[in-house]
Amino acid sequence: MTVVRRPPARSEANRNRDWDALMAAAQRGDAAAYRRLLSEVAVWLRPYYSRRLPPAMIDDVIQDTLVAIHEKRHTYDPSRPFGAWLAAIARYKWIDALRSLENCPKEILDDHIAVPCHEEAITSAWSLEQLLSTLKPAQSQAIRLVKLQGFSIDEASKATGQSATLVKVNIHRGLKRLAAMLRSETDTD
Amino acid sequence: MLGIVELGLFLAFGLMRPDMPMALHLPSFWWKLVSLGLIALVSGAVAILSLNPIRSPRVGLRWVLVLMVLSLTVGWMIDASHGDYGTLLVRLHWRDGLRCLCTIVALSVPPVAGLGLLMRRGAPTDRGGTAMAAGFAAAAWGAFVFVFACPFDDPFYVFVWYSLACTTVTVFAGIALPRLTRW
Repeated sequence: MTVVRRPPARSEANRNRDWDALMAAAQRGDAAAYRRLLSEVAVWLRPYYSRRLPPAMIDDVIQDTLVAIHEKRHTYDPSRPFGAWLAAIARYKWIDALRSLENCPKEILDDHIAVPCHEEAITSAWSLEQLLSTLKPAQSQAIRLVKLQGFSIDEASKATGQSATLVKVNIHRGLKRLAAMLRSETDTD
Repeated sequence: MLGIVELGLFLAFGLMRPDMPMALHLPSFWWKLVSLGLIALVSGAVAILSLNPIRSPRVGLRWVLVLMVLSLTVGWMIDASHGDYGTLLVRLHWRDGLRCLCTIVALSVPPVAGLGLLMRRGAPTDRGGTAMAAGFAAAAWGAFVFVFACPFDDPFYVFVWYSLACTTVTVFAGIALPRLTRW
């Protein structure tokens, strides 16, 4: 089995070194470096929070984290890695966001959720199936495809191997027979 | 710095105990002074270091707890070696004890406020732990300053009333500071 080494690990190290330098420059007042750093950090934060928070919260938490980085930038020690400093703040803001979820209004669901009654639909489907089963297979298949599943005559013809005319004839005869059966049952009742 | 100013003002107002030369010869006086000073310094350092988001105060807090246990052990040894303080109830001197408690709490207010301000400006990511360390530091510093005025050197008295005062301050700091220093 071939083990593929991750080439991005190196670029990650490079990126961390870049961030260290950018943050150190930002602390010295380099506005361009600071802008670049924040935009790169915002990109890094998105997947970080996507894995940990509901999608609706991600933008707000990224914003909170960027504001916190800005407000607490004086606590960054340039001799230490910026990545660890950023990760600590991101984690803190994540925990803060999770705690804020507790205060969100919650809707309590009943144990028994009301759903519409399907009895009539099930009875109809069962009755139709019983009626179709009394027809010849070719007739019931043609009715099923064209009248119930919405196939065209040509499509039903291809699906069943019957000619288009035969499909029409089978539908006509099948429906006629069903009608006769229903009439006779009504007369009996 | 604020603590040193507080100590200076406290002594400048002539609040030092009158029998200080005698007290300097008592082991229990030095026990109070050194223990509280050490606890204040260590917990203060822990609180300040943990204002950096990547530093956790938890390990430092464990060391503070070890220091407290050691201090109490030394106090118990001093108490056991003396042995002629009388019954526990008499040794409590509860009226004076309550006064001590209130004074220590009052002396802890400036360091709590100062450390709270530092917490607000810093970026602690374990606010509960940092607040606890700040509470220990402020309480121990308040008690340390009060050692210069307190005429009681009985280890049992010190244990009960100083512990009560320090617990009060620490609990207050543990509850209030995390809320005030949210960032």
